[in-house]
Amino acid sequence: MEKGGVNRLEGERETPDFREKHDRLRRETLANIRKLQRKITIELLAAALFLLLSIAALSDFAFFPSFHENIRAVLGSPPSINMISSVLLLYVFSAILLILSRMMSGSGKYGGIGHVGYLAGFYFFYHFSGKLPENFWAVFAAGATVLGLEGYHLWIYCSEEIEMEREVLAFLDGRPAGQEDGEGNG
Amino acid sequence: MFKSLTARAIIPVTISVTGFVIVCCILLYSIMKTDMTNDVIRYETNQAQTIVKSTRYAMRHDDRESLGNIINNIGTQEGVEHVRIFNKRGLIMFSSAPGEVGKLLDKNAAGCIECHRGPVPAATLGDMQQARRFFNEKGKDVIAITAPINNEPACYQAACHVHKAEQKILGTLDIGLSAAPLVNNLAVMRSRMVIFSVMVLLVTIGGVAALLRRYVFIPLKSLVDFTEKTIQGIDQEIPPGGTEIEKLSGNIRSVVRELNSIRRENAKWKKGE
Repeated sequence: MEKGGVNRLEGERETPDFREKHDRLRRETLANIRKLQRKITIELLAAALFLLLSIAALSDFAFFPSFHENIRAVLGSPPSINMISSVLLLYVFSAILLILSRMMSGSGKYGGIGHVGYLAGFYFFYHFSGKLPENFWAVFAAGATVLGLEGYHLWIYCSEEIEMEREVLAFLDGRPAGQEDGEGNG
Repeated sequence: MFKSLTARAIIPVTISVTGFVIVCCILLYSIMKTDMTNDVIRYETNQAQTIVKSTRYAMRHDDRESLGNIINNIGTQEGVEHVRIFNKRGLIMFSSAPGEVGKLLDKNAAGCIECHRGPVPAATLGDMQQARRFFNEKGKDVIAITAPINNEPACYQAACHVHKAEQKILGTLDIGLSAAPLVNNLAVMRSRMVIFSVMVLLVTIGGVAALLRRYVFIPLKSLVDFTEKTIQGIDQEIPPGGTEIEKLSGNIRSVVRELNSIRRENAKWKKGE
């Protein structure tokens, strides 16, 4: 590439319009990099939230005040353990298939917080059925699998996208691709 | 390392299969544990009913010696931790442990509180609600069940007895069996499930890794070697591989051949100048 960046010959004067477009593209690229990095951070936060929830569930939510009998009566009787377990199995199966299909299609969609919500639901259903200690590790393994797989997918996807954005930045700055830019790391 | 082609192919498969098998095994173990515990309780309930029925004759004839012998003999059976019959007030009348006879049971103790929670004691309870699990004074894990001895027409119509027809329950039979066989069976099942899971994981991940190596990684490596040698101008056969790999090899070969002929033309022109 010629010195001066964006395929411009050295010494050629820049028009104000060109400079403006160049700056806008640079800003957009940097914003994209930040967005991708935020995606990974959100996924990590979802994993941390799930860990905190699991620590609470390990003690069967003992440090939370228990519901009053009236509230329990309003909630009604919990579903059977077999039904909760079947739904958990169905959830893990479909979540794994969904993430694998996203990996196959190269989609950057993710549902970290949503998955934590579903898993919290399973913890609470088991808790209200009085069978959380027996089934804690099943929910934990389900969460670790789904969030681990999603985390790996997102990490690979975002790393690739960030790499591509950095190549665009390098092109705009007239640097050879792969050379680090302080701002680009942002 | 985690971004290499091998890692990208193996890691998602490993996480998915391992996680799914672990979740399945834990849920299956939990369900089987509940089923096996319920089976033990059902067996214990049947045994309690058998004891109540077999002691009925002795009770009706107020034959306390025979009743005591029956209870003692059942108590000597392997796996039976305790058998006792107590009256409505909770006074132990017969027991496999002679020292217990004549003692009063606490209504708030495990196994009693389930019926005596309210002001009027419950006369009927489901089998599972009657069962309780605890460690006895010898430190043994025990699953115990209490079975009511109901007042039947043969009891209150008998000439020798003083029970009124309104009295629903005459006493309670309490039998406790050792949970050791159940615990052992669960431990064996657990270890078998772990071995089975590890085998499934090894076969799945090993199989995927072997197939990928055979049909993707080795052809790719030979393709890389092929391109390097072709660039150097060494003519060679297209490496064997899947249809896609062979097609790709052919394309690379024709591109390199084209490139080489352009280079030769350029060299000729330069010489001509």
